[in-house]
Formats: sequence, C-alpha cells, structure tokens
Amino acid sequence: MTPVRPPSSAGKWVKMVLPWLLLAGLLLLPLGNPSGNVMKLLFITAVWTTTSVAWNLLGGMAGQVSFGFAVFFGLGAYTTGLLMHMGWNPYLSFLDGGIVAAVASVLIGLPTFRLRGPYFVIATIGVTEAVRVIMNNIDITGGSSGYRILESKPFNAVEHYYTAIIAVALAVAISSVIAGSRFGLALRAIKQDQDAAADIGVNPYFAKLKVHAIAAALVGIAGGIYARRAAFFYPGDVFAFNTGISILLMPVIGGIGTVWGAVLGGVIFGMVQEQLDANFPNIHLLLYGLLLILIILFEPDGLVGLLRRARRLFRRRRENPGSKNADQVLWGRGGIAGR
Amino acid sequence: MNLVWGLNLLIAALLLAGIYAAMSVGMTVIYGVMKIVNLAHAGFLMLGAYFAYELFNRLHIDPLLGAVLALPAFFVFGMGVHWLLVRWLPKSDTPTLASLLLMFGFWLVLQNVAYFIWGNDDRSINTPRTNSPVNIGEFSAPEVRVIVFVAAVICLVVLQLIFNRSWFGRSMRALIQNPYAAQIVGVDDARTSRLTFGLGTAFAGFAGALLGMIYSFTPDYGRQFLLRSFVIIVLGGLESISGVALGAVVLALLETFGPQIKYHGEYILPDSLQPAVSFGLLVVVLLIMPKGLASLFTTKRRLT
Repeated sequence: MTPVRPPSSAGKWVKMVLPWLLLAGLLLLPLGNPSGNVMKLLFITAVWTTTSVAWNLLGGMAGQVSFGFAVFFGLGAYTTGLLMHMGWNPYLSFLDGGIVAAVASVLIGLPTFRLRGPYFVIATIGVTEAVRVIMNNIDITGGSSGYRILESKPFNAVEHYYTAIIAVALAVAISSVIAGSRFGLALRAIKQDQDAAADIGVNPYFAKLKVHAIAAALVGIAGGIYARRAAFFYPGDVFAFNTGISILLMPVIGGIGTVWGAVLGGVIFGMVQEQLDANFPNIHLLLYGLLLILIILFEPDGLVGLLRRARRLFRRRRENPGSKNADQVLWGRGGIAGR
Repeated sequence: MNLVWGLNLLIAALLLAGIYAAMSVGMTVIYGVMKIVNLAHAGFLMLGAYFAYELFNRLHIDPLLGAVLALPAFFVFGMGVHWLLVRWLPKSDTPTLASLLLMFGFWLVLQNVAYFIWGNDDRSINTPRTNSPVNIGEFSAPEVRVIVFVAAVICLVVLQLIFNRSWFGRSMRALIQNPYAAQIVGVDDARTSRLTFGLGTAFAGFAGALLGMIYSFTPDYGRQFLLRSFVIIVLGGLESISGVALGAVVLALLETFGPQIKYHGEYILPDSLQPAVSFGLLVVVLLIMPKGLASLFTTKRRLT
C-alpha cells in the first residue's frame, strides 16, 4: 500500500545515497581549511551549476532552448546590489533577486512563448541584446560603468561558499521534484509534441511560463550570490551574450534533459572555465565551440550519453538504450525513429 | 527640421538599406533551401572583413576588388563547411535546434580562431575614399557608402537573376517550395544544398568585406549585424530575395529616423538605445507577422 517502494537493486541505492553523500562532503569541506583559490573555484562552480540545472528545467525538460538566461542572471545581480546598498539583509536580497527575475521571465515569456522552436530561440537572442543595451543606459545602476556593492562586514569566503552550495542543492532538489511530478510529465509531453500535449489536457503556454519562472528565479538567486562575492559587476559582464551562452552550453555538454547531466556539465564547465580564463583568456570559447560541434554531430546526449555508452560497452549487454532526451530537444523527434 | 535635412537622412537610410540587404541575403537563401538558421553567418561576415583587410594591407588590393575576390574564395569555403559539418544534419522542413547549435558552435570557433590570429584590436580599412563625401547640390553622402551601395545592389540583382533565370536557381526555388516534390521530379537535393550553402557563404563574405570598408571591426564584429540580418529576413518572410530588400529598407528607415523622433521636445530614442530598436522590432514582427511583411500584400498559398 505504501507509495514509496524500497530500492530493489544496488544501483538504485547508489542513486539515492550518492547525492546526500556529495552534499555532506561539500558541506564539510571548509573544515579541511582549503586555500582561498580552491574556495573561489568551488564557489564559482556552484554558481554556474545552479544556472545550468535551472536552464535544464526549461531547455531540457520542456524542450524550449533559450539563449536569454543572462537576463535573469544580470537582474538577480543588480537587484541584490541595489537592495544591499539600501541596507537589506543579503539573503533577503538574493530572494528578491529571484523574484524580480521570475517577474521578468513572465514578462518575456508572455510574448515569446507564442513562438515555437527556433523562432523562440531567435527571440530570446533579441531579448538579451535589448536588455543589455537598456541596462547600459540606466543611470541609477551606473550604466555601462557598472555597480559596486559595499559591505561593512569583513569578507567571509566560507559564508559565500555555503550560500552557493545551498543554491545548488535547492536547484537540484527542485529539479528532481519536478522531474518526478505530474508537472514534469506535462513538460516532457510538451517537448515531445506540443499539440498532442494540448490535446490531452496540458496547457503548454501556462506550463512553459511556470517552468520559465521557476528557472529564472533560480538563475536570479545565483546572479545575486555571484554579485555579492564579486562586489563589482557591469552590464557587459552579467548581461553579456556570452553569459547566456555559457548557461546554455553547460547542460548541452553534460547531457540535455537529465538533472545530473546538467550538474556534471556545470561542474566541468566551472572548473575548466576558471582555470582556462586565468591562463588563456580566449581558448575556452574555442574549446566550447569545438565541443558543441562534436556533441551535436556525435553524441547529442552529452557526457551522460557518453558515460551510458561506455557502461553499456563495459557490461557487454544491451539494456534499454536510455533516454532519447537530446533527440527530442535537438532533432525534434522521439526515440522510435532511431538516430 | 527642413526638407533638405530630411532628404539627406532619407538618402543615408537608403544607402544603409543596400548594405543591410547584401548582408542578409546570404542568410535567407540558406534558410530557404535548407531551413537552417545560420548563426555562423556572423563569423562569415567577420572573416570577409578580415579577408579584404589582409588583401589591402599585404598586397595593396583595393578593398572593393577584395570584396569581389571574396565571392569565389568564400564560395569554396562555404562548400567545405557544408561538406564537413552541415550535410550530417538531419533533413527537416522546419529548422531544428541541432542545426542552430551546430552553426553556433562553428561561429564560436571562427570567432576565437580570429582572436588568435588578429587579436582584440579594432581594425579598419582606410583608403583615400573613406572620408571624402560626394556632393550633389545640397545633398551629400560619404563616397565609400555610395560605392558600397552600388556594389550591394549589383550583387542583389545578380543573385535575383541566378534565382529566377538559371536551372540552379530553379532547383533552389523548387526545394524552397516543396522539398519532397522537388526530389520526386529529379532535383538533386544534396548538390543543390551544397551549392546554396556556398552561395550564401560567398555573399556573407562579400557583404562582410563591404561592411569592413565602412565600419571598424574586431573578431566579435558580426554579432550586431547577425541580429539585424535576422530582423531583415524575418521581415522579408524568410524565403524571398525581394522580401530581404523590403525588410532592409524598413529597418534602415527605422534606425535612421527613429532617433530623430521628438516627444515633448525630448528625443524618445537616444542614440545609445538605437541597437535595441532592431531587437524590439524582431520580437514584435515574429509575433504579429510571422510570415513577414509580404503577408500584408499577398495571401501566399503553399502546398504542404
């Protein structure tokens, strides 16, 4: 009678326990007194991973690829900055950053979700560019010269780290809950065939708006957390087209449509980005371009797909060929036709 | 606000429209035949500008001739790109996200390879023509813009002739109208796609070289024009060359006259907000006229 079935195999146990072990490890990590650089690297990685997981909600689950998430990241950063300047508690400011981003996502979504597929994608590119231009010209935020957060408290790397980790955990938890819920099923139905989903009683327009708002709120919170630690930011940075690209690349690299793919993509991206950015400022985008081409041509399921393939090879037995998530997002068709 | 001033602005807008049309047309043929939104277009524009720049600096070839030389060079380059990347994409009669992301990845590669070669500095092509104006009575326009306009219009006319009068153009039109029926009557889809991609790339390189004569450029140079190209081809209904010309005129007029509109004595669109005009227009047009401006005049029937 109980709805919760005990995990039947070792694999399921691992899947249930591993996230908690990971979280515990990350929470205990500052006890080991790591160096400032390591803390910074982990912090940035956690922020990027949050945005990656959030993007995956809209792009992976609902199949609506957006180039425009930089808007929410930037809005979160600016809202947090302005509110902290007015003397608000930083954590309340993060939440407000999320709310502002969610409201913006509804305003953007109302017109753009009337468009489908690539037309939606193109519209999101236009929205990002327009928002950055406008933010460059608003006086109260310092326009294009940027905004500085002055905090009276001393800099505390551990606190920043914990906020970022909590944000990641929140994003992953929300994603997992949505993935297993009726709402998640509705999103997947929209991805596979929007018209068929509408026929069986899903309201695609409303569902997309809802998931867009949830994703935007998470990205807004991440933007606020980033802004507080960076203490200085400008529209050419947080609202940049490149920020939007990065947020999109992470889940594509990791594996579109799976929560852990997005996490994996975010972690790898964050680590590599920080290292490469310091040493070779331009090489990372070149690498991501190449990676994107290779992934699209050879392994649309990303690293998760690659791992799955490796495991199949290792076990020498053909199981259920796994998700066709990426197929549906990228090629616009289900798993029946094959690749 | 007097008449001469207004006419001068109008001339400037039309000259701009010619360039805009030339830069968008490559994108529209590729979209029409293959239904690929070519984000790498920005990269091709940028490479076109550097192509003319290098020819001018090293071999002292006039940038106008450089632009003409870009046509065959980029034609071959485009066919290479098609052979290497694009032909592996699945066929579809609506644009797929795979194609979008693939071309986007390729754009990133082009852009960052260019950063390696030319660095981040602003480059420009300076010829004696660059700053000399052409004066006719009270009207004046920069000479280089007039030349670029003439070159752009000639190239559009040539393309229109290829499109309407040659067998290759006929197979392109057939594929645009109905890819399945076209293949049934014997149009070679693969070959036409390859040539079309080459053609689109050639015109992108050509337009990039022309734009390089007017504006200074960096490896990131194509992005602003990429979004304008989107707006123009969407305005033009995505698949027709004359539609592109119409879209270019509309966008150029809006960008030129928009900042001049006063409301209660204040400019409602300061110059710095000008880039937002095209992006705003893009969203509005996608929403209210997804078939482009042409849908206002004709009811187009398509077999599906």
